[in-house]
Amino acid sequence: MRPLLLIGGLLVFICLQSCGDGLIKNQHADTLEKMTDSNSKASTLSSRQDTNVNGEKKIIGYWVGTFKPDTSMEGISTGEYTAWDFSNKINISIDSLYEDRVIGHSVVAGNARPFKGRFKKDGSLFEFDVREPGDDKYDGEFKFYIFKGDTILNGTWKAYQKIRVPARRYTLYKRFFKYDPSLRLSGIRYVDWTKKKSKYVKDDELGNYYDETFFSTTIDVYKFNASSDLLTKEQVSNMKKADIFILRNSIYARHGYSFKNQQLRAFFDRQPWYIPVSTDVKKELTGIEKANIELLLRFEQNAKEYYDEFGRG
Amino acid sequence: MFIHKNPLLKASRYIIWYGFLLFFGYLMLLITLQYIPYNTDVAFLRIKQDVVHFWFYRVAFFSHVYTGMFVLMSGMLQFPALLRNRYRVFHRWCGWIYAILIIFITGPSGLVMGIFGNGGWISQTAFCTLAMLWVFFTWKAVVAAASGNISSHRNWMYRSYALTLSAISLRLWKWLFVLIFQPRPMDVYHIVSWLGWGGNLLIAEILIYYASKKNTKN
Repeated sequence: MRPLLLIGGLLVFICLQSCGDGLIKNQHADTLEKMTDSNSKASTLSSRQDTNVNGEKKIIGYWVGTFKPDTSMEGISTGEYTAWDFSNKINISIDSLYEDRVIGHSVVAGNARPFKGRFKKDGSLFEFDVREPGDDKYDGEFKFYIFKGDTILNGTWKAYQKIRVPARRYTLYKRFFKYDPSLRLSGIRYVDWTKKKSKYVKDDELGNYYDETFFSTTIDVYKFNASSDLLTKEQVSNMKKADIFILRNSIYARHGYSFKNQQLRAFFDRQPWYIPVSTDVKKELTGIEKANIELLLRFEQNAKEYYDEFGRG
Repeated sequence: MFIHKNPLLKASRYIIWYGFLLFFGYLMLLITLQYIPYNTDVAFLRIKQDVVHFWFYRVAFFSHVYTGMFVLMSGMLQFPALLRNRYRVFHRWCGWIYAILIIFITGPSGLVMGIFGNGGWISQTAFCTLAMLWVFFTWKAVVAAASGNISSHRNWMYRSYALTLSAISLRLWKWLFVLIFQPRPMDVYHIVSWLGWGGNLLIAEILIYYASKKNTKN
């Protein structure tokens, strides 16, 4: 009787164990969907810096969040989730306030643009109206406001020219950028939906999506940190091209590089720690990172040329 | 190679065989042309930067790449009965080119590259075994031809050329595996480093078995 009980107990234990796994996975999937907004808030709070705007000085700094289209646009789906809905992570940096004048710059989608304008204090409300120079196709006018004592910046943006997304809105949180090589990638999958080999699948239930098993990341991409560990040839040589590609770009992302590439933005914008800060981070790279980039680039190029072709590598 | 009574069938088999060889020979030529002019930071060498600074690796690699095409072509010309029987001098010349290249250049250089091969000991053992067997089979074929033992010569040449063709079959297997399973690059490399020449050798042994059966019947 006793062995039977033992075996029974063991079986129950195993069942619970595997169920638990399933539950955790589901939870994980849930949080991923909400990642873009909820996490930026969470990490702002966790940075332990007071972000309450109780005076003009507190306005100066980075305001980060999602720059959403103000018109309804059909997003791009890759089957698991909407890979990109034309939203980008934006960083509106307020650099100086003097009397009623404000100077700053915005960093979004690989584009860093200066702006100038005026602000007024209306009771407990700070109202801003700033304009970009206009010599760039994507320049426009920002209007936003912050309530005194609050931690969020709300606003809209209108492009000067006729572009694909002419109007956007945003809710931004104050963020403090500090380079941290230990930052890890969260468990979302990178998918390149533009690759020729991706198949556009028409599905009545799931909607249309791009089936992309060919150029997407695997769990391998979370194994290494290309900013803190010096990677070896052995580690990199058995990785698939999307993993190598993301591993290399995660280095730039940690330095706050703003990506021009849509697919990369869709991936890194979802990383809660990611803040677009600059469009050139070459000077910031550490020795480890430079060495890793060189190695990863070699294997990336090799994979691009040979992985699915008639050839050796 | 293909002994058959129906001339049409025989011709079509030749066409398939040589069509296959010419097509993949052309692809191999394209791979070879990547290394002309001499460049140590291109194609396959891009991921061999940790060994490319060794002079002997560079000598091995480039002699292997530049002679490989000639081995493949000179071997290709040895199979048609017409060339073997009516143009015996041509057959001998091509044979000497084939054998000397493999035994002294392409084979030994393959061994050096195998020692430094990608994918760790699994594929390194595979490539080193391949190189040594290749030289051995070719040597045996030369000895058999010199002693006038034609059927033995033919058998050893089947084996030798089977290994020569692994240059093509390895890449073909890799392409096929990636197409179907999209495995990690070194996982597939481990498999094809053995399958690339093992499969060919098996086919050669089967051909030899049936050829010898036919001979004993006559």
